[in-house]
Amino acid sequence: MSVDTNAVLPGRNTTPAARDQRRRPAPSRRPRARRQVLPYLLLAPAVLAILALLGYPVVTVVITSFQQLDLGQLVRHETVWVGFANYREILSDPDFWTITVRTLVFTAACVASIVLGGLVTAQLMRHAGKVVRMIMQIALLLAWAMPVISATTVFQWIFDQNYGILNKTLVALGLHGFTGYDWFSTGPSTLTIIVILLAWQGIPFAAFTIYAGLLTIPADLYEAASIDGAKPRQAFGAVTWPALKPIVMITVFLEILWDFKVLTQVWVIRNGGPDGGSTTLSVLQYLDGISGHHYGVAAAVSVLMILIIIAVTAQYIRLLVRAQEVEI
Amino acid sequence: MRRLPLLAPCLLAGVLLAGCGSSGSTSTSSTDAAGAPQAPACSGSTTAPKPSGSGTLTVWLMDGSAPTAMTNQLNAEFAQQYPGWKVNYQVQEWDGIGDKLAKALSSSNPPDVVELGNTQAVQYSQSGALADLTSVSNAFHCDQWLSALKTSGAYDNKQYAIPFYAANRTVIYRKDMFAKAGITAAPTSNDEWLADIQKLKQAYASDPSFQSLYLPGQEWYTLLSFIWDQGGDVAADSGGHWSGALDTPAAQAGIKFYQQLYQASGTTAAKDTDEAKPQQSDVFAQNGGHVAMMISLPWEEAGVVKDDPALASQLGAFPIPSRTDGRTAPVFLGGSDLAIAAGSKNTDAAEAYLALMSGSKYQNMLAASGAVPGTSTDTSALDANVVGPAMAKAASAGGKVTPITPNWATVENGDNPLKDMLTAVLSGQKTVAAASSDANSALTKILTSS
Repeated sequence: MSVDTNAVLPGRNTTPAARDQRRRPAPSRRPRARRQVLPYLLLAPAVLAILALLGYPVVTVVITSFQQLDLGQLVRHETVWVGFANYREILSDPDFWTITVRTLVFTAACVASIVLGGLVTAQLMRHAGKVVRMIMQIALLLAWAMPVISATTVFQWIFDQNYGILNKTLVALGLHGFTGYDWFSTGPSTLTIIVILLAWQGIPFAAFTIYAGLLTIPADLYEAASIDGAKPRQAFGAVTWPALKPIVMITVFLEILWDFKVLTQVWVIRNGGPDGGSTTLSVLQYLDGISGHHYGVAAAVSVLMILIIIAVTAQYIRLLVRAQEVEI
Repeated sequence: MRRLPLLAPCLLAGVLLAGCGSSGSTSTSSTDAAGAPQAPACSGSTTAPKPSGSGTLTVWLMDGSAPTAMTNQLNAEFAQQYPGWKVNYQVQEWDGIGDKLAKALSSSNPPDVVELGNTQAVQYSQSGALADLTSVSNAFHCDQWLSALKTSGAYDNKQYAIPFYAANRTVIYRKDMFAKAGITAAPTSNDEWLADIQKLKQAYASDPSFQSLYLPGQEWYTLLSFIWDQGGDVAADSGGHWSGALDTPAAQAGIKFYQQLYQASGTTAAKDTDEAKPQQSDVFAQNGGHVAMMISLPWEEAGVVKDDPALASQLGAFPIPSRTDGRTAPVFLGGSDLAIAAGSKNTDAAEAYLALMSGSKYQNMLAASGAVPGTSTDTSALDANVVGPAMAKAASAGGKVTPITPNWATVENGDNPLKDMLTAVLSGQKTVAAASSDANSALTKILTSS
C-alpha cells in the first residue's frame, strides 16, 4: 500500500534517477513507517489538548441539553434524562424566535460597523503621515486595552439620562429636547448603543489586522496602477481589494463568532431590558442557566446557538477553505 | 454600598409580624399544595450537640452582614469552647453568589455554614442543598425567631435555614431642613407627606439643586410598600401556583402613588436607575447636602455620614407613611438566613456554631450594628441607632416579602419587570394600566416557568 501510494505521488525531485529510486521496493518498511507516524506523534499533544479543552465541554453541553439539570439535580448528583423536552420548551416559546432574529440583526450590525470601521481606519493609517499614524495607533491600542467592564461603565455614563455628557452636550448645542432624554428607553435604542460600544472596542483589532494586510501590498502595484491612469477608487478595486480580501474575510468570520455570542456588554448595560428588548441569545442562556439554575435548558440554548452559528457561517467556512486551496 | 438590598428581602420584624410574604399566615399555608413554604413548629433540645473530635469548620458569611468585631469574638469563643475545632471564616461577595453557592453546595466538600439572602434561601431549601434543621430548631432559640425570616427558611413544612438578621426601609431626613420648612413632626400619612414636600420646596425655592425627596425611578422595593399599603400585592399564590397581581386596582393605586410622589418631590433622580446607581447616600451628601429625604436602608445613613461627617447630627428617620393616617406602610423585609450544607461532614460542629451565634450575646451585637436580630426578640440595642427606632416601628406594623418561590430569583437577577414598568410610567411611555398589564404578563411568565 505504502509503495503504491508513493509511486503515484509525484516526487518533489522529478529527475529520472529519483523516480527510479522510488520505484525500487523499500529495503525495509520500518523507517518509512516511522516517518509516517512521526508527524502524527508530533501533532498528538496539540490535538489531544484541543480535544480535551474544546471537545470535552462541547460534548458535555450536548449531553446536558438532554437532561433536566436544575439546582436540585445538581446538588443531589442525579441524572434525569428528558429527551428533547428542553428543546421543545425553547422552540415552542415565540420569544425565542424574536430573540434569535434580534440576535442575528444585532450581530450583522456589529460585524458591519466593525469591519467597515476597521477598513476605513486602516486606509487612514496607511495614508496618514508618520506622526498622525503613530497617534492613531496609540489611540487604537489604548481603546483596545481598555477592560470590557470599564468601557461599558463609561458608556453607561456617557448616555446617562441626568449626568451623561452626551445629553449635556446636546443641550448645550441648543437641542433642548434632549434634557433628560432616556437613551435606554427602548430595546432598539439600547441595542444601538451596545453596537456602538462593541464597535468602539472591536475596531482596533480589525484596523490593525487589515492594516497589516495593506502593508503586504507592494507599492509598485499602486505605481503601476497610477501609470495606467487608475483613479484612487479604481486602484482600490484593482490592487487593494484583491490582496485584502482574504484578510477581510477572516476578520468578518471572527467578528461574527465574537459578536454573536457577546454577553458581558449586553448584560451589564441593561440586563437585557427594557421589557426584554435587548435580550440576545447569550442573555437568554445566562438567564436560564446562571440566574434560573436551569442548566439543561441553558445547555439546549447553547446547542441551538452553535447550530445557528454554523448555519450562518457555513458559506464563509466554504469560502475560506476554497481560498486556501487556491493560494496553495 | 451593600448589595444586600437587591437580594435579600425578608427580614426584620418578625417579631411582630404575621409572616413573611404573601404565602403568609400559617393558617392558610396548610392548604397549600406540597412545595409551598410552610414553617414547622419548634422542636428539639435547647442545647446543641457537643461536637466530638476535632476539625475545621468552614463558615461563609456575606460581605457587610455581620460586624467584624462580632465574628472575631464568635470564632474565638467557638474555638475556645470546643478545643480541637477551628473556624475557617470566609467573607463572600454578593456579586455572583448564586452561581458560587450552587457550585459549592453541590461539591463533595461544601462549606459547613452558609449565609443566604432570604429571597434566595427557598431555592436551596427546595433543591435539597441544605441540611434539615427541623428537629433541632430549639437549639437556635426558635421561640424568638423573626417570623418573616422563619418562613423564608422553611420549605414543605421543614426548616432548612434559620433567621440571621433583617432590615427594612425608612425615610431618612434632614432635621435642619425640616425645621427651616417649619415642619415640627414627621409625617404620619401620605397626605401629610405630600404637604411637607410642598413646604420644603417653598422653603428652599431659592436653591436650584434642592430635592425634597431623592427618589430614583426604579426603587421597586419602595413601590412594594406602596402597593401593599393600598391592599395589593405583586403576585398571588393559589396552591403553589403563582401569578402576577400587578394589574389589580390596588396595585395600580400603589404605582400611581409612586408616580405622584416622584412628580411632587421634584426629584432629579433618573427614571431608569435604581438606588444603587448612583449610590443614593452619595447623592444625599453631595455638595454639602441639597436633599431633604431619601427612602433607604439603615446602613445608608452611615454612608451619608462617611461622605460628609458634618451631616451626622442632622439626620433622623421616620417610617414610610401610609395612606391611612397614623399607620405606617408595610415594608419589604430584607435580610439573611443561616443554613448548614446538606453535604457538610461537620454537622454537629456547625449546629454548635449556629447555637452560639443565635444566642443573645451575639444577637445584641447585631442589633447594635443597626440590624434587627433574627433570633432574639430583644431589639433594645437598636435604639442607639439613628434609624433603629423608626425601622423597628415600621417592621412591627407590617413587614412583608416577595413571593417565596424559587423562580423569584430570576425576577431579581434579570430584567426586572417592575423596574421596566416604573420607568415606562414615569417617562410617560405607557399609562399605568398598560405598563402594569405588560409587567404582569412578564412576571407571570417568570413565576410559572418550570
